Amino acid sequence: MTDGPAATPAAEADLLARFEARIAAGEKIEPGDWMPDEYRRQLIRMISQHAHSEVVGMLPEGAWITRAPSLRRKLVLIAKVQDEAGHGQYLYHAAETLGASRDDLVDALLTGKAKYSSVFNYPTLTWADVGMIGWLVDGAAIKNQLMLAQCSYGPYSRAMVRICSEETFHHKQGKEMVITYAQGTPAQRRMAQDALDRWWWPSVQMLGPHDSDSPNTPLLVRWGIKTKTNDEVRQEFIDEHVPELQEAGLRIPDPDMRFDAKTGHWVHGPIDWDEFWRVVKGDGPCNTERLAARNRAHADGAWVREALEAYAARHEIATARAAVEA
Amino acid sequence: MRWEVFKQDAPSKPHQAVGSVHGADAEHALLNARHVFGRRPAAISMWVVRADRIYGRTAEELAAEAPRAPVASGNEGTYHVFRKASHRRSMTFVDHLTDVRAAGPSEALAVALAGAGAEPGLAWWVVDANDVHATDPDAAASWFEPAKDKTYKQQSQYGTVAAKRNEGAAG
Repeated sequence: MTDGPAATPAAEADLLARFEARIAAGEKIEPGDWMPDEYRRQLIRMISQHAHSEVVGMLPEGAWITRAPSLRRKLVLIAKVQDEAGHGQYLYHAAETLGASRDDLVDALLTGKAKYSSVFNYPTLTWADVGMIGWLVDGAAIKNQLMLAQCSYGPYSRAMVRICSEETFHHKQGKEMVITYAQGTPAQRRMAQDALDRWWWPSVQMLGPHDSDSPNTPLLVRWGIKTKTNDEVRQEFIDEHVPELQEAGLRIPDPDMRFDAKTGHWVHGPIDWDEFWRVVKGDGPCNTERLAARNRAHADGAWVREALEAYAARHEIATARAAVEA
Repeated sequence: MRWEVFKQDAPSKPHQAVGSVHGADAEHALLNARHVFGRRPAAISMWVVRADRIYGRTAEELAAEAPRAPVASGNEGTYHVFRKASHRRSMTFVDHLTDVRAAGPSEALAVALAGAGAEPGLAWWVVDANDVHATDPDAAASWFEPAKDKTYKQQSQYGTVAAKRNEGAAG
């Protein structure tokens, strides 16, 4: 994990060339291997944002656990929200292998310094939103995470492989739920369409700015942190989801959406990036509420953390004393 | 405190490094390990080891180190040696490979490397057997088996758009 003694510029260039050759050959970089400081910095930035998104992502859906319409739906939703908590843990672990401290990462989230996915700053107004989040938000997340599973950094890649296998359950349960409502009573169909109307654009936006506005992308691709650009991943998401949503009898809230037979791709209308940046910068419908909920949960759990530390310390003293007396 | 977690999926499988958790002590770390890594079936045992007690070397680090006689730098005892063998897509890191009697982790690694021969591996972890805290075998059933009945967590339990439509047409 150490960077070793300060290298001369020539030695540094040699190390960088070898590092890039390893990535080009498809090798994984592991903790302990040499890596450029910028590689480490970019990974900590991306992985911690990703971890925070998983943790904050529990909130919009968690709000519906007590109001699930059946026991089965409640069990499914509890399992899904619990998975998101686990995904946050896998990712904080990956960031820690790069030398980041968990306390610093959590602190950055709680004080509002760190970013998380803008999509979680939208409210869940009806039960159908829970299904639509599974289908669209988790659907978009999987596209991104399947790409990141190819990442050149071993711990991030492994966390992504584990997450993708669980996330597929999230995607499918949401799809199943939305399709059920889309084929249901007129009121259920209206509820499904309303959820799609509100969640479509935030889901399209959550895959990040256009490549032309994403200055980090070329370096991230060169170092195998990303293997596709934001626009490429977004296109995959749209190509998969548009025909399925239409087949379910729903209407995509994009008047310009059309299939281009020449390229075989769906073409979307202009994305409202002003809205995206407004939400990223803190002015979305629920930013304040989400941060307040995280801070409240952290403060409410303080006595548990203190009790665990006190118990562990007392137990350690008792064990040491018993060893001396033995 | 950070603890590395090793999960064993079946008697025929090795303990594999799956990630880490925080815990005030080993008992707390094991409970967290179950919550974080045992939500899906296929676990029969878990180990936790304090992260700062693990002796790790990547192939790159081994190549950069000057060859020297292994240092008898620790306790005389049994060491668990773990290895990562390939760059294949995986959700686990190093696998438990062998146990070695040695006078310290670097000596244990030297013994394991000599035994590995043509398969030198990509990364190695060495753990003093005394630093391993394992789940109680008698409690394994109550810890891990409930996950098996929670089939609603399995993606295979959910149909696709087409399957759903056919089901609707049939019903």
